[in-house]
Amino acid sequence: MSRIPAKLQRWFRQNRQALLWVVISFSCLLAAWQIASMASGGRLQIPPPLEVFQAFFTAFVKPIGQNTILEHAAISLGRVLSGFAVATVVGVVLGIAMGVSDAVYAIANPIFEFVRPIPPIAWIPLSILWFGLGSANKVFIIFIGSFTYITINSYEGARNVDPQLIGAAQMLGASRLRIFTKIIFPSAVPYIFAGLQIALGVSWAADVAAEIIYSQSGVGWIITMGMNNGNYTQIMVGIIAIGVIGYLLSTVMRAVEGRLCRWNRQAK
Amino acid sequence: MQTQTKVKVEHLVKRFGDLLVLDDVSFEVKQGEFLCIVGPTGCGKTTFLNSLTGLYDITSGSILINGEKVDLKKHSVAYIFQEYSTMPWMTVEQNVRFGLSLKHVPAQRAAQQAEKYMDLVGLAPFRDYYPDQLSASMLQRVVIARAFATEPELLLMDEPYGQLDTELRYKLENELLNLWQQSGTTVIFITHNIEEAVYLGQRILVLSNKPTTIKKEIVNPLPLPRDIAAPAFIALRNEVTELIKWW
Amino acid sequence: MEPASQVILQCEHLSRSFRRPDGSMYQVLGDVSFSVHENEFLVLFGPGQCGKTTLLKLLAGLDRPDGGTVKMNGQPVAAPAPSRGVVYQTTALFPWMTVMGNVSFGPLAQGLSKEESRRRAQYFIDLVGLHGFENHYPNQLSGGMQQRVGIARAYCSNPQVLLMDEPFGHLDAQTRYMMEEELVRIWQEEKRTVIFVTNNIEEALYLADRLILLTDCPAVIRREYPIRLARPRDYVDPEFLHLRQEISRQMDPAQ
Repeated sequence: MSRIPAKLQRWFRQNRQALLWVVISFSCLLAAWQIASMASGGRLQIPPPLEVFQAFFTAFVKPIGQNTILEHAAISLGRVLSGFAVATVVGVVLGIAMGVSDAVYAIANPIFEFVRPIPPIAWIPLSILWFGLGSANKVFIIFIGSFTYITINSYEGARNVDPQLIGAAQMLGASRLRIFTKIIFPSAVPYIFAGLQIALGVSWAADVAAEIIYSQSGVGWIITMGMNNGNYTQIMVGIIAIGVIGYLLSTVMRAVEGRLCRWNRQAK
Repeated sequence: MQTQTKVKVEHLVKRFGDLLVLDDVSFEVKQGEFLCIVGPTGCGKTTFLNSLTGLYDITSGSILINGEKVDLKKHSVAYIFQEYSTMPWMTVEQNVRFGLSLKHVPAQRAAQQAEKYMDLVGLAPFRDYYPDQLSASMLQRVVIARAFATEPELLLMDEPYGQLDTELRYKLENELLNLWQQSGTTVIFITHNIEEAVYLGQRILVLSNKPTTIKKEIVNPLPLPRDIAAPAFIALRNEVTELIKWW
Repeated sequence: MEPASQVILQCEHLSRSFRRPDGSMYQVLGDVSFSVHENEFLVLFGPGQCGKTTLLKLLAGLDRPDGGTVKMNGQPVAAPAPSRGVVYQTTALFPWMTVMGNVSFGPLAQGLSKEESRRRAQYFIDLVGLHGFENHYPNQLSGGMQQRVGIARAYCSNPQVLLMDEPFGHLDAQTRYMMEEELVRIWQEEKRTVIFVTNNIEEALYLADRLILLTDCPAVIRREYPIRLARPRDYVDPEFLHLRQEISRQMDPAQ
């Protein structure tokens, strides 16, 4: 019998109930899928789950197009993370500057309010003309789509600092810079993270949309190629890959937040 | 005169998983009695209260009102907590009548009841005010009048005056005693404040630390109104303090 | 038992009004003057919600009076400064800093080295009885412990005057007794001038060298009482209770 670490064993014991429900829930989905697949035919083809999963795991070693599925995923993730990183830096700096300075707010806000309601996919044609067909245009779309959320939340965070905490820091002799770095910024961090969480989801959606419209690699491309070749299974493989990656991204994000915002959790 | 048992708690036990919080608690409250319950900080007071009100399922034991298992649909139990839970969109009068309307009291009777209790706590001139136009003590009076107006079989109070200044607290407590005497309502009053418990209660249950048991039951023979500086009052206060003191 | 010590803080004819949302003004503080002596424990006691916190903010320099002046060591108070430490009712601890982080914030902000700041913070953490909790975050502590951190933090920036704004107002009656005893112990070990605001007469009498009774809205000084009861005081001592009833009779009839 293989040795399972004690920590993992405890985790399983504590979450037995929850795990059971996850298993039940996925079983239901698979059953429904199987039934739908058996009932389908003609124009509405739904490949059975087993075939899709087989194709999914085969794709780890056998390339779809030029790359294996992991390579496609890595390419997509690379685009997302680049765009998201730039958006984070710009969003946090702009948002906090708007929060602490009325002048910055007065200048930036009208432009910001104008850009905000434009959905990221509306930028795709322009982005392709500006940045070409490669990864750069996707990174731009991701940036445009996600930085608004980060900016708004950073702004809210910087605005909602408890004034009593600022007063307390002043009484203790803190300079303006120290008040900014030690009070305003940390106080805004939970807000920023809420924004990052949304922005990451949006980034992922924007990247997939950009890849579906035009690309030569990435998980969105898998779907487009599947459509062009009438390969239903490949489309489903692409969709599963998108779902799994999206889930992993938000899980990682939550873990990072839990680590950085330890003080924000409830006692014990 | 033989007074009836209103509330009977027998062998009440409450566990959260492996944690024993209430350990075999039994006591009775007589019809029309004012009972104070006082215990050390962190003694499971909230669990105690929530078990009494049926908010938590109890692990074992029973809680009977008039000899029947407590049923909030049948028995009228009113609560007063520290938060002033008035409805901000209702006037004082509407707030006081709100509890009555929940109990489906006929309109005419409801109007009489509301009138009587607004009068008793001095709210009548403020009947058309909204809660945000009132001071903290006035809000507390609205909550008290609302609770008494329904003439509940049992009124549970959880440290309602904790945040008020001492003088105001005594003023409101005197009003409370007055209402209680006029209405004959059975009151269970839970507090951390020993002086308050001795000032109000006809009987005092002293709780132990977790797992909570009843450490002692003290009858308070002092006549109302009580003098906090009287030697007999101080002696009783010291007795309770000795049972609780952890600080 | 009152040596003719030096006046450290002085307010003259302080007044402050605020504007209501509808534009009308209401006065919370009307013409208040008093002086505070070095190492004195002064309690500002009054019923109601009005004026006391405002007065303390003026003393701190966190707010400016409409009229009158606050002087510390003869110099007008114009802005917050570490020579006056504040302990807040809501604790106002920095939730993202540990106990050590909170307490050492003052000395670090004033430019002391990291080692020196930590050493000083450790001394006050030990003094308030929180040894072993240095790495806890505020939300991991009980209400009483959080307020101990608040006291240690205020002490640690080495203020001449400590301003305490109903620091035990949110605690239950028993924890409150404990904290009052603790505060007297801490104050006797590390003597500072303390100005303590409360609406609880037991607390006021337990702590005060001198008690200033304020009226409700607008707050003005009704009377001053030197409190000469020996320490440690007893809440049920006849003299204590007698004084308590006497002062209560002087208070405004509560609304």
